[in-house]
Amino acid sequence: MSTPDGLRVEHLSVDRGGRPILRDVSLRVAPGEMVVIEGESGAGKTTLLRAIAGLLPYDGRVSARVRPAMVFQAHALAGRLSAEANVLVGTLGRIGLARATMRLWPAAERALVRDCLARVGLDGLGRSRADHLSGGQRQRVAIARALAQRAPVLLADEPVASLDPVNADAVLTLLRDLARQQGLAVLLCLHQPELAQRFADRRFRLRQGALLAIEARCDHPPSV
Amino acid sequence: MIRRLGWAIALVVLYAVCIRVVSPDLTRLWAGLPRLARWLASSFPPDFSGPGDLARRAAETVAIATLGTTVAAVLALPLTLLAARPVAPLPWLYHPVRAVLDVLRGVDGFVFALIFVAAVGLGPFAGMLGVSLHSAGSIAKLWSEALEAADLAPVEAAMSAGASRAQAATVVLLPETLPQTMSVLMYIWEFNIRASTVLGVVGAGGLGQELKNAVDLLDFSRVMAILLIIIVLTLSADRLSAYLRRSML
Repeated sequence: MSTPDGLRVEHLSVDRGGRPILRDVSLRVAPGEMVVIEGESGAGKTTLLRAIAGLLPYDGRVSARVRPAMVFQAHALAGRLSAEANVLVGTLGRIGLARATMRLWPAAERALVRDCLARVGLDGLGRSRADHLSGGQRQRVAIARALAQRAPVLLADEPVASLDPVNADAVLTLLRDLARQQGLAVLLCLHQPELAQRFADRRFRLRQGALLAIEARCDHPPSV
Repeated sequence: MIRRLGWAIALVVLYAVCIRVVSPDLTRLWAGLPRLARWLASSFPPDFSGPGDLARRAAETVAIATLGTTVAAVLALPLTLLAARPVAPLPWLYHPVRAVLDVLRGVDGFVFALIFVAAVGLGPFAGMLGVSLHSAGSIAKLWSEALEAADLAPVEAAMSAGASRAQAATVVLLPETLPQTMSVLMYIWEFNIRASTVLGVVGAGGLGQELKNAVDLLDFSRVMAILLIIIVLTLSADRLSAYLRRSML
């Protein structure tokens, strides 16, 4: 079977210490679509994204053309490095150890990084230290780092959890635009239902490790 | 209650054994005080004659500490990466490497210098080798602890983006922990300046050599001059190291 564009998850289960965290989760995210997983804290949202990203062992099947890119909840940026250096981290999968250690990034990768920063609205801030940026700007750097991976699937774990409402709107708008304009399949976790309702093409709820569909948005045709 | 009593008895036994071994004798100290007072009186004014020799010995001391710390850092880097859990590429090597670090730290630089004097001859080179080996153990232990205490989220993010452990360590973790690792290096350098002042006692160069000669000759005004230079040297190293550590944050 050929690997589809977008993301397909089939019968994914995760156990931790003999306790089931996720049970038989299946979903598909098509290119250009933004799907939101809702759920209470501890429902297994982060576990689901980490399993899909290959950071946790799981049973079942995850199909994506290349390893999905992940935006972590608390940015996971190296605070002392510049925004540009943080985004360059997204290219490490394509760079050898010696080049990376000597900071000898190919010109094409540097251009890609500048382009990623521009796409998230951080033109001109590439040289700023990550820990000197605002929370919203840091989350944008984290998104730019994920974009630099050039993965067709973008996972985002509570990307607006630590942001004020204005920045939360801006970051979710950015993610939706990236899905629409660049054909990315975006899967994110949110615990704010009102934001999920406004931005998601489709919504699911995780409850006791099982995934339940909520509803499709009226103004977008269903993608699957 | 019984446990506390057990601890109390153990402490009493420990001190009893220590006192028996050391045999502290206040009467001997009392008897020696006038001699110390005479030596102290005879040490003024300090004898700074031959300033060229003193400057050369002081320079040797700083050079031993500086080169010794640098060589130690180079030796410590691979040991650190093998002994820091988040980035250790070969987990089965973790405990053996930690044991090597314990051995290096367990043997004082003074003892290493003594051995190297026998191997490579008298002079500051032996002192530098002694300082390097002992410090490599200390630096690698402190560096690996700094790496283990660091926020590992950026490392995980790098690895989820396809970076290898080594890439994540060199591109993210090492720059991120630079203030801590440089602070360790400054502290060890400052410590080595102090340690290098006595290496000369075993023939490994530096001010210690001059100090030993003066003590052997009971030339206390010369001893005082050397002690004053050592104090100025260590205080200067302390201030410089504190300034550099602050500026790196």
